[in-house]
Amino acid sequence: MTQQQLQHLYWRAGFGMHPKSNTIISKQRTSVVEVLFESSKAFTPLHIDLSYLDGIKPVDLKSFPELAREINQKGTKKILEFNIAWVKRLVNPSELLRERMTLFWANHFVCRERNPLYAERYNNTLRYFALGDFRDFVKAISKEAAMLKYLNGKQNRKAKPNENFARELMELFTLGEGQYSEKDIKECARAFTGYSHDFEGDFVYKENRHDNNSKLFFNSIGNYDGDDIIDIILKNKQCAAFISDKIYRHFVNPKPNKKHIAAMADVFFKDYNIENLMRFVFLSDWFYDDDNIGSKIKSPIEYLVGMANTVPVVFEKEKDLIKIQKLLGQTLLNPPNVAGWKGDKAWIDANTIMIRLKLPSVILNNSVIDSGQNDQFKKKFMQKYKGKLPFKTLPNWTAFLENFETVATGDLQDYILQGTINKGTADYLKTLSKMSKREYCVQLMSLPEYQMC
Amino acid sequence: MDRRKFLKNSALASSLFFVPDFVKAFEAVASERLGYKRLVIVQLAGGNDGLNTIIPHNNDLYYNARPKLAITKDIIKLNDDLGFHPSLSPLRGLFDNGELSIINNVGYPNPVRSHFRSMDIWQTASSSDEYLQSGWLGRYLDQYGKQPYNAIEIDEKLSLAMKGDHFNGIATNDFRVLYNSAKDPYFKSVLSHYNDTHLSEHNLGYLYQTMIEAKSSANYIFENTDVKTSQETYPQNAFAKQLKNVAQFINSGLDTKVFYTSLGGFDTHANQNNKQTKLLSEYAGSVSAFVSDLKRNDTFKDTLILTFSEFGRRVKQNAANGTDHGTANNVFVIGKNLKKAGFYNNLASLSDLDANGDIKYTTDFRSIYATILSKWMGVSADGIIPNKQEQLNFI
Repeated sequence: MTQQQLQHLYWRAGFGMHPKSNTIISKQRTSVVEVLFESSKAFTPLHIDLSYLDGIKPVDLKSFPELAREINQKGTKKILEFNIAWVKRLVNPSELLRERMTLFWANHFVCRERNPLYAERYNNTLRYFALGDFRDFVKAISKEAAMLKYLNGKQNRKAKPNENFARELMELFTLGEGQYSEKDIKECARAFTGYSHDFEGDFVYKENRHDNNSKLFFNSIGNYDGDDIIDIILKNKQCAAFISDKIYRHFVNPKPNKKHIAAMADVFFKDYNIENLMRFVFLSDWFYDDDNIGSKIKSPIEYLVGMANTVPVVFEKEKDLIKIQKLLGQTLLNPPNVAGWKGDKAWIDANTIMIRLKLPSVILNNSVIDSGQNDQFKKKFMQKYKGKLPFKTLPNWTAFLENFETVATGDLQDYILQGTINKGTADYLKTLSKMSKREYCVQLMSLPEYQMC
Repeated sequence: MDRRKFLKNSALASSLFFVPDFVKAFEAVASERLGYKRLVIVQLAGGNDGLNTIIPHNNDLYYNARPKLAITKDIIKLNDDLGFHPSLSPLRGLFDNGELSIINNVGYPNPVRSHFRSMDIWQTASSSDEYLQSGWLGRYLDQYGKQPYNAIEIDEKLSLAMKGDHFNGIATNDFRVLYNSAKDPYFKSVLSHYNDTHLSEHNLGYLYQTMIEAKSSANYIFENTDVKTSQETYPQNAFAKQLKNVAQFINSGLDTKVFYTSLGGFDTHANQNNKQTKLLSEYAGSVSAFVSDLKRNDTFKDTLILTFSEFGRRVKQNAANGTDHGTANNVFVIGKNLKKAGFYNNLASLSDLDANGDIKYTTDFRSIYATILSKWMGVSADGIIPNKQEQLNFI
């Protein structure tokens, strides 16, 4: 594999790489890809300290409204804490590909949960199944407390079915819009009646709320429950095609290629094994086509985590990590709606592009982007006014210099940027002094090209 | 050449000589005015329950369908049949003054009950079986816009409604931040070298284009917005802040034809009453302050406010004291000199519902758009609203 192909793989299966990344032992495509899967075999759940909930029972919350309020407020803080823990996990993952897939699934099985216990469980379910069996994955999601709350599954009862989950299950999670009738949704909702959860977040099936009559779903009749419905949905190859299309647009190229997606769907339909599907993608020749390299606009999280991979940085106030996510338009655990973030061009508008261009200099270089004009004065000035910057950070440029030791400053653009550089910009880069690897790195990170991966 | 002279010349060079033609063209048309009528959109995201907003207080079908959810107390009765939810009391004055027109049963054929799809339909003005990549206001900008700031969304990101096929509005939560980022000299150098050959269709071309537009719009908004604070007291919430920003832009005379604001959280599948009471009160309080602010500055007469939601909710309540996704809903139009204020039409029958138990639409939302375009904005709806639409008489 060429350096560029290796970087391409690591931008899609992870969050970029630097020349000293020590996970890479071979340059054979099969062994490089195998390393990715091997090192993600393990499952390390993400936990924060939720001991404040120990010993609390539902009846306590009912009897002591003040305690309930306190628990609620604490919960809001804990969600932020979990967000930060997640971002830190992405920067320093124990299982890189698993984390990358978890992030992807979080924007597929979209859910917003304000109870930190349920939110943590849900997040770890995404992580556990991230490379596993899609069938078990969908069934597990349908029984998660967070999802039962978010799409009103626990309010779905025999006497009064609630269609919210049934609709999104088919529209967003498995088949795509227009692949079912309104009648199918009603019947599907009936099959999921009786699903609920207890205070701890464990799934509870309430027999007396379940509709035990037969349902007519996708032209077959039976006394189906939720798992049966999911099995019937997965019999339709459209499900494999729908997921393949989404994975292609996320991991390969936002512009879909019908032939490649059909090939993926063939692989996925065999056993609905996510790991096999991803291996097929990363081993395909087409994955490394020039058209695919640098074709994707980084999501705010890809952008932020990728930057921290190049120049390690510590935020003095960890809450600033949340502020930045908000500014860039993607706060983890807080999706805009059940369809999730639209991605690609939708990340960028006049507001976010300016923030993205400016942010690397703000968090890594006291807001200075060397422009070759009178910068000594500006640098001194900004050094003095460091405290006035919106974020207080400790960038580790020493680590950067060590990691990029083998790279000549003049070649840095090949490592920091993915894909084509605009001709005029490339000419301008040639005119820059490149006296300092650090300044040149910030200059490269402050370009529209840096938004691509 | 000494250093000072060199700097001066290079600065001059980069601002005049090296600036590509399209950037110059961009700056040049800045002052051309588009006319002074302005449109403010308020989007109630999540599907507001119209039946508990404008309440059929004399209709047994309503009370029977909602044994626990029907509003029974403090309804602000507006006529024998319909009344405001108690939270809408701040809008009573507008209603009485003939500055509010309520259009009932607004929707479209073969309604979709998915938030995203239905919101896309409302924002793109498409049919339910048609997928459009551009928004109706975006297509208005395609034809009549000159600058991204001709349409401003007060948000961190731009809605599909504001994205045209060739031209986008601008989204900003804080125009000062935008301005400060845009003025960095490094960006100026990068843009002065940019050439757009072969890139316009590519994602990278889109990034550069957006960067150029951001820079010129940030300058314009910053330089032309009057910073003196409003004398009006707004409620303390995020939606009120959006409208306060809009009032500041309008009262500063910015060359902006369209403003887009949004209030979310209306997806009330469970325990609807508390939530909707709070949201409607945020909505009504903020809009009322906004209108007074405009009146104080004599800009209300040139402003039209359109409030919509992607769908209404099912007539029957569900078991969780909430409502599921429905179809037709009411739309509010607020402005001076409305042709037909009050109730534009009657509420559709609550006995003649569709197969899902939802209200049947009587007015196509696209005819409201078409009417606003021709009678308020003074342009033809051709090429903006896909199919020929009936003209309504509310303005």
